[in-house]
Amino acid sequence: MREQLTADAGVIAGQPPRRGKAILVIAAVAAVGAVFPFLLAGEPFLLMLASYALTAAIVALSLDLLTGNTGLLSFGHAAWYGFGAYAAGLLSKTVTSDIVLLVLMTMLATAVIATLIGAVLVRQIGKTFAILTLAFSQIIFAIVFVFSGLTGGEDGLQGIPVPTFFGLQVFKPEVWFWIFYGVLVISLAFALHVRRSPLGKAWLAIRDNAERASFIGMNVNRLKLIAYSSSATLAAVAGALFVLFNGAASPDLLSWFESGKILMYVVLGGVGTLVGPILGAIAFTVAEHYVSSFTDAWLIYFGGLFVLMVIVAPGGIFGALSGIWTRGAASREAAQ
Amino acid sequence: MILSVSQLTKNFGGLRAVNKVDLAIAPATIHSIIGPNGAGKTTLFNLITGSIKPVDGSVRFRDRDITGWSPQRLAKLGVARTFQRTSIYARLDVLENVALAIRSREGMTTSVWQPASAERRVRDEATDILAKVGLRGREAVLAGNLAHGYQRSLDIAIGLALNPALILMDEPLAGMSRGDRETVASLITMLRDTLGLTVVVVEHDVGMVMRLSDRITVMQHGTVIADAPPAEIRGNEAVRNAYLHGNFAQ
Ligand SMILES: Nc1ncnc2c1ncn2[C@@H]1O[C@H](COP(=O)(O)OP(=O)(O)OP(=O)(O)O)[C@@H](O)[C@H]1O
Ligand SMILES: [Mg+2]
Repeated sequence: MREQLTADAGVIAGQPPRRGKAILVIAAVAAVGAVFPFLLAGEPFLLMLASYALTAAIVALSLDLLTGNTGLLSFGHAAWYGFGAYAAGLLSKTVTSDIVLLVLMTMLATAVIATLIGAVLVRQIGKTFAILTLAFSQIIFAIVFVFSGLTGGEDGLQGIPVPTFFGLQVFKPEVWFWIFYGVLVISLAFALHVRRSPLGKAWLAIRDNAERASFIGMNVNRLKLIAYSSSATLAAVAGALFVLFNGAASPDLLSWFESGKILMYVVLGGVGTLVGPILGAIAFTVAEHYVSSFTDAWLIYFGGLFVLMVIVAPGGIFGALSGIWTRGAASREAAQ
Repeated sequence: MILSVSQLTKNFGGLRAVNKVDLAIAPATIHSIIGPNGAGKTTLFNLITGSIKPVDGSVRFRDRDITGWSPQRLAKLGVARTFQRTSIYARLDVLENVALAIRSREGMTTSVWQPASAERRVRDEATDILAKVGLRGREAVLAGNLAHGYQRSLDIAIGLALNPALILMDEPLAGMSRGDRETVASLITMLRDTLGLTVVVVEHDVGMVMRLSDRITVMQHGTVIADAPPAEIRGNEAVRNAYLHGNFAQ
């Protein structure tokens, strides 16, 4: 984690991005997303798997907004993912089928509730914060069962209608892929932008030395709360899209097990790198699918792999890749 | 008086770390606080700047009662401090350490869209402040990689970036080379003379304290045992006794 923040600081000290390069990157990212579904044209299941992986990627990014930016660890992030799923699912059965409205309403509800709950949580430090996030997620989990008439309890929330976009039904797998891909790319771009903004730099400051931050007049709790609420809101967007795509929500979505997986995506990918957790989530989801079809003991292998990763590559996938890249660049330079 | 402390008291268990301390700091002066290790100097700073709350007594800044105010509120009011154990952002670069304080002062901390011109102004100002404390040319160095003495200077630069009216420095010269001590000493004088800043300094280098200060307060066992201009402190019997080894009034 220490080395990673160093890399972040490099971003801060660096030059403003060159416009031409930015346009190239945007064009490439858009092209890859546009073409991808056609590469999997004969494989509807793989396209669906890709959409699941992208959902996981959005959730992973959302947790990195909190943990990577402020150092606060959440053991209960699935609560917000699940909250978004149930909120959007219930709204779609009762209020509207418009996907844009559903996502906006879910975002608003999450932002309000996460701010209220976060206001209590961010006053705690370190381990207490992490444990309270777990406790809070268990409460949300329990609520699903208490109001099982509304939520379907153990059976989950069923019969969610196909959402619409300006009256058109959203059901084609490639359209869903583009939705997930678009939301992910826009969220990532925004997160990278915020990282370079005064807010992002203030987050790095409170992560590095919160005491000093308060002595230069920063409201440390408020900064943490902003990170917490935005993180929860993005997780809820992922949940909302997932439930509309999937047509049903199960209470598993907000279990501690799901929270653990989200945390694994982030650590596996590289805490604080924003891109890393996305790679971690995609790798994890795809591997989970293939490995779990071979063996029921897949979780043991994943646990082992996870421990190994933390030991040999504490910077996660992103840290390892950028290490290879840097060494490659150095040896290319040496060769010249 | 820009800062007046009255009957300020703090206990740690049975220990009276700060015991009914009275202090009056005149504006635009350099006021030093000296005393043996454990006298309660840092605790006094912590009480004034809101790190810890007193059990008794009060602190006034420009006729406003600031007793128990948080560091965050005090920073906004123009009270800055530096730390005995250097407190910087070790994992950010030197320029950013100072820029953060400038942005905070300007209320830009939570902004997400900031015009490039505003950011350039912040960086220019940060560069100027760094030059004043002798850190020119080190803007891009990671703060944690700076030599110890430079880290002390950076701590001061962060405090100055708040444009304070009052700055409390806890042992600013500790661990610095002779040359850097002179740089910081003339900086402190300059702050008073050209900016009209009030500087309260805790310092063990008594020779330097005698040279710099307009007034000196001497503490021992949590209480004030003397409070006078340097010339008088030099001849004070109680102060001599407090410094057993006699290396005091050279
Ligand atoms: N947080 C704390 N808890 C318990 N005791 C403390 C605490 N902080 C300081 N003390 C004690 O209070 C007394 C005064 O400490 P303080 O740090 O204020 O002294 P000082 O004058 O700054 O000394 P030095 O010159 O060594 O920095 C010491 O005996 C110290 O051990
Ligand atoms: Mg001290």
